[in-house]
Order: sequence, then C-alpha cells, then structure tokens
Amino acid sequence: MEQRVFSTIGKVTRRKEGIARVTGKEVFSSDVTLPGMLFARVLRSPYPHAKVLSVDTEEAEKMGAICVTPDEVPQIRYNERQVSIPSKTYRDRTVLPEVVRHVGEGVVGVAARTEALAEEAVRRVKVEWERLPAVFDPFEAMKEGAPAVHEDVMLGDVRLPIKNNIACVREVSEGDIEEGFSIADFIVEEEFRTGRAYHTQLETKAVVCRPEPDGGITVWPTAQSIHNTRQLLGRIFDIPLSKVNVVRVPIGGAFGSSIQMNTAVAVCAALALKAKRPVKLCLTREEDMYDHCKYPSIIRLKYGIKKDGTITAGEMQTVVDIGAHNIQAYPLLGCMAGWFVSLYRMPHMHFHGTAVYTNKAPACAMQGYGNPQVSFAVESMMDILAEKVGMDPVDLRLKNYVGLGETFWGQGPTVRSIIRSCGVEEMLSKGKEKIGWDKRGKPEEKRGRYRRGIGVGRSFHTSGTGAPMPGEVIDYSTAMVKVNEDGSVDYLTALMCHGGGTLEAGAKIVAEVMGVPLDKVGISPSDTRSTGYDVCTHATRGVYCGGAAIKKAAESAKKILLEFASRLLEVNPDALQIRPDEELGQGVIFLEGAKDKAITVGEVAKTAQLKGWGTAIAVESHRQVNCPPCFVTNFIEVEVDTETGNVRPTRAVAAVDAGTVINPDLAAGQLEGGLCRGIGLALLEDTDYDRDTGELTCGASLVDYKTYTAVDMPFVDDLEAFFANTYEPSGPFGAKGVGEAANNCTAGTVANAVYNAIGIRFKEAPITPEKVLKALKENGAAKRRAERND
Amino acid sequence: MNKRKVTFTVNGERHELVVEPNELLLNVLREKLGLTGTKYACGKGQCGACTVLVNGESFLSCLTLAVAVDGAEIRTIEGVAEPDGTLDPIQEAFLDSSAIQCGFCTPGMVLMGRELLNRNPRATEEEIREQIKGNLCRCTGYFSIVRAIKSCCEK
Repeated sequence: MEQRVFSTIGKVTRRKEGIARVTGKEVFSSDVTLPGMLFARVLRSPYPHAKVLSVDTEEAEKMGAICVTPDEVPQIRYNERQVSIPSKTYRDRTVLPEVVRHVGEGVVGVAARTEALAEEAVRRVKVEWERLPAVFDPFEAMKEGAPAVHEDVMLGDVRLPIKNNIACVREVSEGDIEEGFSIADFIVEEEFRTGRAYHTQLETKAVVCRPEPDGGITVWPTAQSIHNTRQLLGRIFDIPLSKVNVVRVPIGGAFGSSIQMNTAVAVCAALALKAKRPVKLCLTREEDMYDHCKYPSIIRLKYGIKKDGTITAGEMQTVVDIGAHNIQAYPLLGCMAGWFVSLYRMPHMHFHGTAVYTNKAPACAMQGYGNPQVSFAVESMMDILAEKVGMDPVDLRLKNYVGLGETFWGQGPTVRSIIRSCGVEEMLSKGKEKIGWDKRGKPEEKRGRYRRGIGVGRSFHTSGTGAPMPGEVIDYSTAMVKVNEDGSVDYLTALMCHGGGTLEAGAKIVAEVMGVPLDKVGISPSDTRSTGYDVCTHATRGVYCGGAAIKKAAESAKKILLEFASRLLEVNPDALQIRPDEELGQGVIFLEGAKDKAITVGEVAKTAQLKGWGTAIAVESHRQVNCPPCFVTNFIEVEVDTETGNVRPTRAVAAVDAGTVINPDLAAGQLEGGLCRGIGLALLEDTDYDRDTGELTCGASLVDYKTYTAVDMPFVDDLEAFFANTYEPSGPFGAKGVGEAANNCTAGTVANAVYNAIGIRFKEAPITPEKVLKALKENGAAKRRAERND
Repeated sequence: MNKRKVTFTVNGERHELVVEPNELLLNVLREKLGLTGTKYACGKGQCGACTVLVNGESFLSCLTLAVAVDGAEIRTIEGVAEPDGTLDPIQEAFLDSSAIQCGFCTPGMVLMGRELLNRNPRATEEEIREQIKGNLCRCTGYFSIVRAIKSCCEK
C-alpha cells in the first residue's frame, strides 16, 4: 500500500552538512592538504589551434620541478564522461594533447613545493608551437575546406574519421511530418538561439592525488561521480581498480560541470605518479572559464496547428556548437529530441540535430542538458501559436501538453516511460491566480518608460535515466544501511550531493524506513573502495534513483533487525513495526496493542551482537525502470526600461511537481536558485570569442562575464515557490526529482514576459539591453512608417 | 624580496609570522594558519568568497596583502562561533532558513551578514541585498540568504 503519512519525510529540518558549512569546517577538494604535498600548475595553450612541435622542460626541472609532457603520458583516447554505454561513447581526449584545440588547453603539467614555484617553473618551460588555422562559427566549420578540429576520433573501439567538423548527427521521426503539416490550418516557423553560458560554479575545479606505496592512487576530486573517475583513471594509467580509490568530497557547486572526470584530475594523477608524492591542482578562475560551458543552441522550429489549437506536427532542427571536444553531444541530441517530443503532443514529428566542433572551450552538460534551450524555443513558440489561433497561452498549453498515461522520453528516443503522476494543470491554474494572470494586459495597452509584462512557461526534467530495458545510458545506484549498537543507523552510498539536499533526502528515507529519529541517521564518508557503483549524480536522479536504492537497502536491513527482534520478543517478525521515539532518542520496535512486546532498536542490535547473531546490515543495487518527468511551471513578471533597454525581474511564481517532497525547504531552494540561473540565461549570460586570438571576450573574468547578484533578484515577498500535490507510484515514498527542472522553463518564460511588456518577440537569448534598445528603435520606426502610410 | 615580520590576531589568537611582501592574506590564512574556511574562487575581488573581517570591517582577503594588516584583529568564518562552539545567531539563521546549499559562498555570506548586523541591526531588505551584492552565490538565487539575514534583524 502507498504510504502517504510520514514521520520524517516532508519535514523541514536543519540539513546535516549545514553545521560544517556555516562554521568553515567543510573540506572541499581545494582544502585537502597532505604531508609532503606538491602544488601543480599547467602550461596552457595561448592559441586556439596549434601543434606542439617540442617541449623543453630542462630549466623548470633545474629548479626542482616535476614536469609531465604529452610524450610522457599514456596516449589513450578517452571521453571524460562515462555515462553512456561504450559503443555510444565518442573518445577524442588524451591526458595531455600533441595538438591543442582551444585557448587554455593544457599541454605540460608542472609540480613544485609551492604554487608560486610551480608558476615560475611553468614560465621556464619552452614550447615550440606550429599555429594551425582555427574556426569559431559552427556553420563556417561545416563548410568544405574549413580547418579540421579533429581528423578522427574513436567511437567505442572503432576509429571514426571526422568530416566537416561534424561530431555527430541524430535524426528522429515519428508519424509522417508532411502529412502533419498538410492537415494544419497554420504553419509557423522561427529560429531561436541561446548562449554558451558558463556554469560559474563557485569552486573552481580542483583535485589532490596521492600515489600509494602499492602502485595505486588515492584521489580527492571535484566530481559528480567518483566511480566513473576511478574507472577512467584505472584505464588511462593501467592500474587495477582495486588500487584506485576516489574519495567523495563535497563540491562547491556543480550544475553539470563535473559530470565528467575533469581534465585537471588526469594531469594531477600523472604528476603524482611521476613525483611519487601527493600533488594538488586547483584551477584559477581563468583556467576554469576556459575549461567548460553550457551547450549553446541554434534551433529552427516549425509547428503545424489547427484553428482550434490542436498541434498537428512539429519539426526541430538544431545545430550545437560543442567546442573542441565531444564530451556528450550524442546523448545531448537524443535528449533534445526527447524534450521536444515530451513537451507537447505531436502526432507527426521530425528532429534533426548536428553537433559541430569549433576551436572553443568544450561544452558540457549544464543544468537541464539541452532542456532550457529546447524549452526556450518551444515555450516562446507556444505563445506565438496562441496568438496566431487567438487562444490564451495557458489554455493552449493545457490543450496540448503531454501528461498522465502518455509516453515520456526521459533520455532521448531509447529511454521511454509512461507518465503516472502529473501536476501540470494544478500548477498552471494555481500559478495564474498567484501572479494575477488575467490582469496582465496587452502590450499595446502599456505606456510609459517602465513597462511590466507577465509571462508563462512550463517544462519538466526527467527523474534519472531508468527505463524498462537497458538503453544507451547507464543508470543504477548502490547503497548500504547498517544498524549500530546504540540504535543509530549509518548509510553509505557513492551518490553525490551538489548542495540541493540529495544526501539529506537519503537520510530522511532511511529514517522513515527504519523508524528512527533523523538525527540518529549518519551519512557515512564515501569512496570507491567502500561503495558499490553509482552512475553519477546527474539527470535529476539523486532522490528518485539513488533514494530508491537507499530505501531498498534500508528495508533489507530492517528485515534483518526485525528478525532479531522477533527472537527476543517471541513475535512473528512480520507483525512488528518500528516508530521513532523522540524521548528515548531512537527507534522502538513494537507489536501493536501489546505493551510488553516492545524493545529499542539499540537493544536489539546490541543483543544480536552479544549473542553472535550478526549485524543488521544490507547492501542493495537498484535500477529504476522508469524516469518520470518532474514538471515545472514559472510565471514571471518583468519590467522593461524602454530608455535603457534593461529588463528586470520583479515578481515570480515557481512551481514543481516533484511527487512527494522529501526536503520542502531545500526543494524550494532549488526552485529559487534555478529561477535565478534561468533568468541569467534569458537576459545575461553568454561567452563570446575573439576571432583572431581565440580568447574569451569577457577576459575570463567573472565581473565581465556577468551573473546576477542579490540586488538584481525580486524581493523575497515577491517570489513564491510551491509544490504540486502529486504522488509518483514508482518513486521512493512517491518522490520524483527537482534539480534541473527548476531552471528549464525560466528563459522561455522571461522571453514571454518581455513580449507581454513591450510587444517584441526576442528569439535570441540573452536578451541584453542592447538588443532590447535596438528592437524598440526598429519597432518605433516601423510603427511610424505604418502610420505615415495610413 | 625581503621577508617581513607581521603580527596580527586571528579569531582572538595572536600570530607572529614572517611573510613575503607580496603574500596575500588569503594564502596566509589558508596555507600558514590552516584556516581553509576562507575560500578562493576568483582571486580578483569579484566574488566575495574570500571575505574576512579586519577590525570589524569586511575585507577581500584575495586583494589584501598580509603586511597591510599588521597589528589588525582579523575574524574568519572559523571565529564567528564562540570558542565553546556556541553558534552565532547569524549562523543559526543560515541553518534555520536553509540558506546553505553547496556551502562555498557561505563563509563570505555569513561574515557579510555579521558585519551588517553589527552596524545596522535594523537593516531593511534593500540594505541586506546591497550589503551582499559583491558576494556571488550560484545555488540559491540569494533568496534564502536574504531571508536568513532578515530573520536576525530587529523589526
């Protein structure tokens, strides 16, 4: 039977990691210090494309520095992201390359006693370069004769020649697209773009590596998956996995930037193995900004729609500028197709995606994995279509959204599941009320310098990548739960928390299953040697997939515990229950209605130990066979300053359908943070490159890149976050994810709000003041022309 | 370069150190004193993660030379709670308002909140936002952090 009344789940509590973080005691990778540790720096390419002809490290080594050069490291080609199955994994990286493909790509690793000495040693390394022609625009890159970023790559174990810089292509069709358009009353086609935003995770990527006397290595990295980091290091450096121990370290923000094993990890490992001493490598902010960014998008979108608002067909063509390396473009394109298909019903659809290499920083997953980009286009288009057929934008969405009982593509065409919980209607109708939708007015009615508009947007994200059949993406988690002799419980998993509360949710799940108070559940330190495999904390899978494994392990440990208790109480174990007893500070095992049949969890555990029965401990691996969508809805009000072109968010309502909400405060926090980052994608964030130098035009500086600060966000009373009242039958205690969903519809919502304010449709994000002013000017001129002609 | 001797107090403890004239306070705190709660995130004074209080005023330790704070009283995140571990009300507020996600900006935010409350215990939301606008947080959208500081302000 579904459990819907909980002792711990859904309660607001102080998060367990909070105390260390608020007192400065939390140890991040950059805080790890080991005896005899050296500090590393990396000599990086000043050119966007060049061949390394020679490296001379003599002067650096004279200073006592340890150096590793491209010809000293294994030339194994790898892909830093190990989430797809091998035959779908494109491999184009080496630890240190002989050809650099973007400014900032590392070529020589150097370690010395201090960071300053390592810097000095890097300056003494001499590299002879042969500059190669570079390409920065994806359409230029696809032309015949364009400079080749890669001659070939590996796909699985097969060499794959790269033609016209096309890294990979994906095409998906359902129904008959021509038929779909032919039955439409209107066909609308537009092009949308989003920028190459930078994750701006506050902690730059860092790692400490310690070579072990047995030939192994211990690693403390910024990582979203310790097991994938271990597998890669083992393969690259040919060390048995039993000797590669990767430690879970709290991460100072991720947003997708560390789904892959970071390049710094491999360089640092090479240095540590050569130096035979621990080595620390922390990227500077400049290095970090040349290390990764969000996938940008150019999306050509075409819909067919009937007069009554029924969508008949949809076609999406996208070109993604992936930069210098193909970290995960193939699954990305599949996911983009999946997000497109799963937003609104289309009997006939066609998707074509192309990922293109350029000589820029490599793009990787960033909160939403193509979904904010797709949703920006589709949600903008829904408003365009609504206007075309004369419907309210909310009503058009309600008419066409993919909901209960329908098929959801959680991870591209190969990962499909049936939607079993859906709060879309509830969120749209409540959200409308809360924001004052019906009073928003029309753009032509708005006057004055400051004009306000309200926009709506909706989207979702997958909860994990589970499916009934194994697909192209690996997805399972492992957890261990153990009852201690005082009635407290430890739980252990390789799952990672990026700040959103994943491990806290795990602790609540354990407390709920075991019937013990939350403060008696401990989150065990984790490393690859002591944990079973967990694919990664990505794809909004932490609670839904990882939490399900934790629940399964807790249930197994509970079964053992109750069997021990049944011997002591002389009661059938199936008749026993556990409840948390705040006064005793632990769980009490009891038989309902029998006062003399009760015993504390601690007493059972201790007695079982004394009698030699064993420990109530269990390890379980679990794969979810679904990936339910966690739906999200935003209503945002913006104010456009028609004199400066500045757009300011003034009010917002953000809602998520996360099923049972395990950490209400932290889930709301994810919605709030996602909103801020989504508004950034809409209005502010992009990285551009100087076509001559290949350098970032923002100078790799946070201030010139620009992210929102506290003064740019609406006041706390002008923001409301709420949850749909749903229950996901396949989730742990009815839970789905939140994570990435939180920002997926925001950029589209903002564009719709800007349209409602000034009547101008912006199809290219970020919607900067310059673009707004230019459009207002053109719009004014066009209006004046129209008036003259009247 | 000639090394210099500096003397300052960090979280109530007096330190006499020999430093390079170009050595940054951030590095001295983290590497010489092991106080790693003060964070590096940009090294250019653009993010506020390295904030410390010098004689009660907020300073960016990544832009402050160690020799420039000779004789000063410095407070880092490790010195915000009482020596017996009793948390400061601003720390309690961050815990109760769930104002901590990844935690990397938290030390700077807590210290900025503490400085504001010392100066202006009746700060408005606008004043709170003004106070922390130099401190970047990528996780929270600032809402919970503002709520935490607000909850410490007298009405």
